[in-house]
Amino acid sequence: MLRYATRRLIGLIPVLLAAIILTFAANQLIPGDPITIMLSDQSANKELADRLRAQYGLTLPVWQQFVNYILSILHGDFGLSFRFVGAHVVDVIWDGLMISPVLALAATALAVPTGVVVGIFAALRRNRRADTAVILALVAGISIPNFAMAAYLVYLFSVKLAVLPVAGWGRLDQAVLPVLVLALQPAAQIGRLSRTYMLEVLGQDYIRTARAKGLRERLVVYRHALRNTLVPLLTTIGIIFGTLLSASFVIETIFNIPGLGRLAIQSVFARDYPVTTAIVLLFTFFYTMVNLVVDLLYGLIDPRIRLGGGQS
Amino acid sequence: MRHLTATVFGAVAGALAASTILLGGADAKTFRTALRADPAMIDPITNSEIVAGDILKNVYESFTSVSGEGKVSPALATSWETIDNGNGFRFHLRKGVKFHSGRELSAKDVKFTFETMLTPSMKGGSAVVYLKNVKGAQEMLDGKAKDAPGIVVIDDNTVDIHLAVKDVLFPIYPFLIMDSAVMAEQGPEWFNKVSAGTGPFKSIAWKRGVSVTLEAHKAYWGGAPTVDGVSMPIVPSSDTALSMYDAGDIDFLYVPENIVSRVLGDPRYKAELIESPRAQARYLGMNQSLYAPFKDKRVREAISLSIDRPGMIKGLYKGAAFQLNGQITPGVAGFDPKNVPPLKFDPERAKKLLVEAGLPGGKGMPPVDIQSTEIFKDEITYYANQLKRVLGMEVNVKIVERGTHIKQMNAGEVAFFPWGWTADYPDGLYYLSQMWYGPSPYNRARYKNPDYDRLIEKAQATAADAERYKIYHEAERVLMADWATAPLPIPAVVALRKPNVKNVTVTPFGYSPFNKIQIN
Repeated sequence: MLRYATRRLIGLIPVLLAAIILTFAANQLIPGDPITIMLSDQSANKELADRLRAQYGLTLPVWQQFVNYILSILHGDFGLSFRFVGAHVVDVIWDGLMISPVLALAATALAVPTGVVVGIFAALRRNRRADTAVILALVAGISIPNFAMAAYLVYLFSVKLAVLPVAGWGRLDQAVLPVLVLALQPAAQIGRLSRTYMLEVLGQDYIRTARAKGLRERLVVYRHALRNTLVPLLTTIGIIFGTLLSASFVIETIFNIPGLGRLAIQSVFARDYPVTTAIVLLFTFFYTMVNLVVDLLYGLIDPRIRLGGGQS
Repeated sequence: MRHLTATVFGAVAGALAASTILLGGADAKTFRTALRADPAMIDPITNSEIVAGDILKNVYESFTSVSGEGKVSPALATSWETIDNGNGFRFHLRKGVKFHSGRELSAKDVKFTFETMLTPSMKGGSAVVYLKNVKGAQEMLDGKAKDAPGIVVIDDNTVDIHLAVKDVLFPIYPFLIMDSAVMAEQGPEWFNKVSAGTGPFKSIAWKRGVSVTLEAHKAYWGGAPTVDGVSMPIVPSSDTALSMYDAGDIDFLYVPENIVSRVLGDPRYKAELIESPRAQARYLGMNQSLYAPFKDKRVREAISLSIDRPGMIKGLYKGAAFQLNGQITPGVAGFDPKNVPPLKFDPERAKKLLVEAGLPGGKGMPPVDIQSTEIFKDEITYYANQLKRVLGMEVNVKIVERGTHIKQMNAGEVAFFPWGWTADYPDGLYYLSQMWYGPSPYNRARYKNPDYDRLIEKAQATAADAERYKIYHEAERVLMADWATAPLPIPAVVALRKPNVKNVTVTPFGYSPFNKIQIN
């Protein structure tokens, strides 16, 4: 297991390197010039522009900029932000680093149990009215875009009823709406999948056997059936967590949460390449870590899945 | 242990004070408004952008100040006179002005501020442009000198500025003068710890991505502000900002451009809406060397005559725009509404002019791109349609990323474009000398007219205001008689203000100062 984890961690290096190369190339390819944007009204001040360009190392050939960038990252230095004069990239993203993953985790923590319970509920009432109603609600939950849902909920709870704050971050009541909106789509997705998996498992021979033995229904469902839906569900949850990180781009903007998602969008618009690259790297890192954790969890849930080869 | 207790007490008290300002405690009166972006900096030296400028003008001051209406009045200098035959100024500083540190302002601070701005490693911002004419400034900027001999401290309350080139507007430039002792005391990141100005607000607390808060400077020479503080959450999303206003989380909102028409169309905002023209000259750039038909004055006039400005204001801007007939905007010194005749929409005359120019119905005019950025999309689509309809001109709409567009305009590579130029200080010469003066790098249409250029040079050397304004008027008339450009409507600054908030408004230069705000 440990050997497996180590191997996977080493495997991260090429993934991160590819992320750096792609982001770096994308930054070079999108039109726009960070120095012109930085100078705005002084953009025709050529001396100043040239001086700044040299200070930020933008006069060097592209390959050299790239090598320098990799070298400084290895030293833990992500460079200076183009947008915030004199600020280090690490300082710019630090606060957001504590927000976006927390938001994604909270939403996952809400979405998974809700989705599973709803899915089982529907599966046990297959083709009855309650099942149809749940399916309809789930399809709606998946189809309504989260920004539309967010706008509606803000209008209802914050402007009309005035029970929750419109936006912001730092207090518990400020987290309610964003986490709810963020959790809605994944919950619906998990609900639909767990209904399908459950129906599949409930048709298996061992379930019939369990029932034939006269086990109580609750025991059949929760001990025998549910456990066997967990492995495919776990894969989905891993993917969902990754999607949640990127969904936070929208939610953080709407709810004015100073997380990495909102910062990433602003940095792209401001052509703040160093910050953009650092955030892409972080997201890549989170995503691969989540996948690793999911792979490790497989072994815990299902002993038949052995990690690290057959010999051990 | 005692020390620790004190620290803990201090921290708790500090947190309480901060939360009072943020949340608006029972007694503390806090003015709350949203910022649409983080400031790029909060120090007076590197200051170079609009968001930062709007905050810093409440914290730092210059020789003079600008009222909401664009009127200049003495601030840190009570009076000044010219020296060296007009090639410089002697400023008499106001006595008894206290910095936020409690120290008294002296001529030393002026010299320190200017020289720090001119030191290349300090990354001086927009004020560097205003200092360029000071004797020795260029040597400092080139890294060849450590100080500027043109800045001379005469005594505690008097400072002389010697200029290499006459610059009559020097006293009205918006410098941000800082306390010379602070950098040495607090180190290079001083601005994250203290504020170093003389303005009505102090202690800028900037939490990146979250908010900027200001605290009243009770010892302000102009009288203590009427509010205890200002809280400015940073809200990039326009919809969120409007929801916050609706929910009463903010008292005042600059309505972002993309939701102006929605706000104007909603009757529930009617009583809380305020508008002002902005100090931004809008124009249609027509580069005569990039598109041959523009060389003919009749074609340029025909283009202007094809634009239905009142129709644009009503349709495109829902009424929230002002017609501009010349290139000096209302609220700026030297503006005279009667100096140039109102621009007309006259398709018949426009067509006739094209016939006279030998281009009837647009025949013989090659297709041309009209280029601008995303926010001008609706506007340039309108021009393209209108010019096709009235003149038969083939105009293609081209949207370009902002940085690229600005770079190309600066290089004089864009043939046809609408753009705006926002004034940094309230004097008409700002527009005239930067946008249409031959040698100016911001003459983005590359307009050249020796008569006009001579008038600008004469104005730059004329100290007496009334006389100088007369030259502006003449220059503006020359510009318009030559149809150098087609002036375009100026979109209004639109803001929402809760009924219980008084004495804050929008002006052509952004917010009115915060120190007179009253909250009931």
